[in-house]
Amino acid sequence: MPNTTSLSTTLGRLTLKNPIMVASGTFGYAREMQEVVDVPRLGAVLPKTITAEPRVGNAPWRTVETSAGLLNAIGLDNDGVDAFLENHLPYLRSLGTSIVVSVAGRTTDEFVSLAERVGNEEGVSAIELNLSCPNVSGGIDFGTNANSCREVVQSTRDRCKVPVLAKLTPNVTRIAEIAQGAADGGADAVCLINTVLGMAIDWRRKKTMLGNGMGGLSGPAIKPIALRCVHQVASAVDIAIIGIGGIATIDDVMEFFVAGASAVQIGTANYYDPTVSTRLIDELPAALQEIEATSVAEVVRSLG
Amino acid sequence: MQPNMPSESHASKLHAAHYADRMKQIHTTVEQNELVGENTFRLRIAAKPIAAMVVPGQFVMIRLAGTNAPLIGRALAVYDVVRDANGEPTWIDLVYLRKGVMTRALSASALGTAITVWGPLGNGFNNESCDRLIMAVGGIGQTPMLTLGREAVGTETYGDPARANRWSENVELIYGARRKSLLAGVDDFRSAGFDVTLCTDDGSEGVKELVPNVLAARLAELPAGERVRVATCGPEIMMEKVAEVCKAADQSESEPSVTCDVSMETPMACGIGICFSCVAKIRQDGPEQWDYKRTCVEGPIFNAKDICW
Repeated sequence: MPNTTSLSTTLGRLTLKNPIMVASGTFGYAREMQEVVDVPRLGAVLPKTITAEPRVGNAPWRTVETSAGLLNAIGLDNDGVDAFLENHLPYLRSLGTSIVVSVAGRTTDEFVSLAERVGNEEGVSAIELNLSCPNVSGGIDFGTNANSCREVVQSTRDRCKVPVLAKLTPNVTRIAEIAQGAADGGADAVCLINTVLGMAIDWRRKKTMLGNGMGGLSGPAIKPIALRCVHQVASAVDIAIIGIGGIATIDDVMEFFVAGASAVQIGTANYYDPTVSTRLIDELPAALQEIEATSVAEVVRSLG
Repeated sequence: MQPNMPSESHASKLHAAHYADRMKQIHTTVEQNELVGENTFRLRIAAKPIAAMVVPGQFVMIRLAGTNAPLIGRALAVYDVVRDANGEPTWIDLVYLRKGVMTRALSASALGTAITVWGPLGNGFNNESCDRLIMAVGGIGQTPMLTLGREAVGTETYGDPARANRWSENVELIYGARRKSLLAGVDDFRSAGFDVTLCTDDGSEGVKELVPNVLAARLAELPAGERVRVATCGPEIMMEKVAEVCKAADQSESEPSVTCDVSMETPMACGIGICFSCVAKIRQDGPEQWDYKRTCVEGPIFNAKDICW
């Protein structure tokens, strides 16, 4: 079969060599995966969210399996931005693929200063604003209010020289309104969706299973919710979308393109099928050819 | 929602230095899946690269292929490495207790069932020489010890390149369970040449006593100056008591010097260091300092004195 299929994709000012990214928090800092998958082949790598200060994270248990899903409350366990720049970024920039750094702050100023500092580093392709982590206080507020979302995105965009992506929470009434806020603020793309707030209970002990009480649900269980969010935003807002939520097979990837995503992030599937990400890149050309598409863009927002 | 933040907090750069850097993901099938004790099964799968590389105390993640129920892999210690007719490490055996969704599904798996497995994972037990290795295990905690004991007595080598073996003059197993029917694989340990002491909660086999107490009595018999390594695996409360017994014996002038290696079991989602689920509270930089460390790549074997129980 002639290899005329173009896998590259464009998200605002960010162009990726292919649309298969790995979701922040599900791929460590990439070095953990260097012997597992051919990391440089990925469209983009998103290391685990970094914060201004080190965070020890939540008390165990931090994850619990539920039906076709995984509930987590890790709590943004990370070594902080200084350790990230010193220990992780040199390796990440050596990979030769796009590096999108996920940052989380408690205030607009914290988001802006993190994004400015990291965005000025050589080898960082874009910043993803984690406006939606359900497991820490503060961050989620930016993702549940359109004005707050617009403000933090705009402030970041003004001071950060690389493209800005806004990762949004599905735990809102009308996600398109929040996405519109991100678009108004100048986001290059919105990432839909972060985890769905949930909980698990041990009825015999009358305790929550997670040390943190509530947590974020991910995995195949949330794919229909993610597809719905992508579709709603694609129908209402003029902004590029990165689809996330339970993606584990090439069918999942193609469904997200049709719904409106120009790229996808593989999350929980990295945990239970560690080589999934590059396998999906291998399988993508045939799937595009099956529907006689010569590029990803032809499929994006093609829902009839 | 206010996260349950521990009061102590500090930067750790150590997370950067641990990787599942030799793991292979393998698609294979169930070749043997037999009952070896009450609710206890021995599973055999062909997994050549893992069989060749694994060292005692390492584990694999396993899941049923092609299903989302259950979704997440489970961590199981490698119980045995089985060689082919040419002596090449070819199969790995995993012994598991039927307890939850995954192990129920696994126990019902017919021969030929598709399995995905990735490993070897974790740091494994150390193999520094000692005068006596005592493996103190309870429940299903015997599973990492068959390979460890064999390496120690020198009847097997593990790893690629093979690690040094024959590093302990004497090898003993203290193995406890609630009742006789739950003791699984005792013959494997006996025929490997270890001194086996069994104990049960109800006295239905061996002595009616708890593992830490049996261990304490044994350590008291041993001469001062002997270098003893205790390796423990089992229920966390048992391991904590074992660690206390070792510490007390080590501090006693009339008893041997004792170190204790603990195989921690914490719920894991990935086994390869990327999800940060399986953390245990581990001391560092002095007695007041600790950090959450991932048992999958920074463990699962920790020195008992480093664990904040």
